Amino acid sequence: MPYARIADIAGHLPPAVLDNEHLAALYPGWSADKIFEKTGIRTRHVAADDETAGDLACAAARALFARGTVSAGDVDFIILCTQAPDYILPTTACLLQDRLGIATGAGALDVNLGCSGFVYCLSLAKGLVESGSAKCVLVLTADTYSKYIHPLDKSVRTLFGDAAAATAVVACEAERAPIGPFVFGTDGSGARNLIVETGAARMPRSGETAIEHTDDSGNVRSRDNLYMAGASIMSFSLNAVPRAAAALLDKAHTDKDAIDYFVLHQANRFMLEALRKKLKVSDAQCPIHVEDCGNTVSSTIPLTLAAMREQGCFDTQKKLMLIGFGVGYSWAACLIDV
Amino acid sequence: MTKFYEGMAEIFEVEPSAITPAFELTAATTADWDSLAIVSTIALVDDCFNVTLDGEGLAACKTVGDIEALVARAGKE
Repeated sequence: MPYARIADIAGHLPPAVLDNEHLAALYPGWSADKIFEKTGIRTRHVAADDETAGDLACAAARALFARGTVSAGDVDFIILCTQAPDYILPTTACLLQDRLGIATGAGALDVNLGCSGFVYCLSLAKGLVESGSAKCVLVLTADTYSKYIHPLDKSVRTLFGDAAAATAVVACEAERAPIGPFVFGTDGSGARNLIVETGAARMPRSGETAIEHTDDSGNVRSRDNLYMAGASIMSFSLNAVPRAAAALLDKAHTDKDAIDYFVLHQANRFMLEALRKKLKVSDAQCPIHVEDCGNTVSSTIPLTLAAMREQGCFDTQKKLMLIGFGVGYSWAACLIDV
Repeated sequence: MTKFYEGMAEIFEVEPSAITPAFELTAATTADWDSLAIVSTIALVDDCFNVTLDGEGLAACKTVGDIEALVARAGKE
């Protein structure tokens, strides 16, 4: 059976931009510089009203095909990771098969995950390829958290951006698996700390759920909006991420020194610096890629990998640790050779 | 203790000399004990003392001394 490797990655950011100047005008006491200082973010891209995560995924896939490494005709499986499907049903990946002109013999499914999604989807793609079930998996990550966020909730509006990424995972011959091993983690007791409460089966939207409240920090939101308990997420991340890294190194029978880069889910610069310190790795080993796009949920890791490629980081062989963590709580880590 | 006090001074945008156990968390003029300050303190405490505090416990603190007491308790568990 062949191994699976990442053949190529392309990203797509919607054209509309939300910058710190605009946000500073909404939030008294917060200048554009202060927002950048606290988050490391200057701009986020925002999908238009009629632009869905599926649309962003489609654009990312087209950008990938335009690079010439894989074509629509090569793809025999589509995985779309999103928490903003076009419809409750049918599956958005099915719609993308049609839009992208991918063969009807291809498989397609949606995965409902956020920040941990890319690493999980890599594990699924690897499983499909290395079991001989697929040869070219199109892993799409796409989200539009901006549509869930209240305009006056600075706690999340400053952080999240919309984006998509397309990654081709293909069969290859190699001496050892370029992707893997993986460690996973799930803690549903943290569910309410990063949540959009309404609009699905548990709680439909109503006049009541739309009522806005202002919290102690002056953020406005309703139960229909995204809510994030920042402190809880920070505590969770400071615990889960180093543990996952250690467990993965153990599983791979290797150590920190063998890893060239630790590519973490790009939550915000502050979180990344705290984690970098805990992992005891250098600035150079722990890229931060939030300034222009913010936290793009499941796309942060592939977008960072694409940026690193453009900077020449992968001109020679490198070993990377990828760690996705967040909403769920859910986390996953893996090693990849690029 | 100095690294912790220096970190707290940065979070509250005051001189390090202003940070004592009696320093009131809601009294600072430029920043207050808001969600961002709490998140920053969680990371700072973790870095200085290798203890992960939770947001609720921190939100109930009124002074730097309260935080230090929380850290001491957590360290014993």
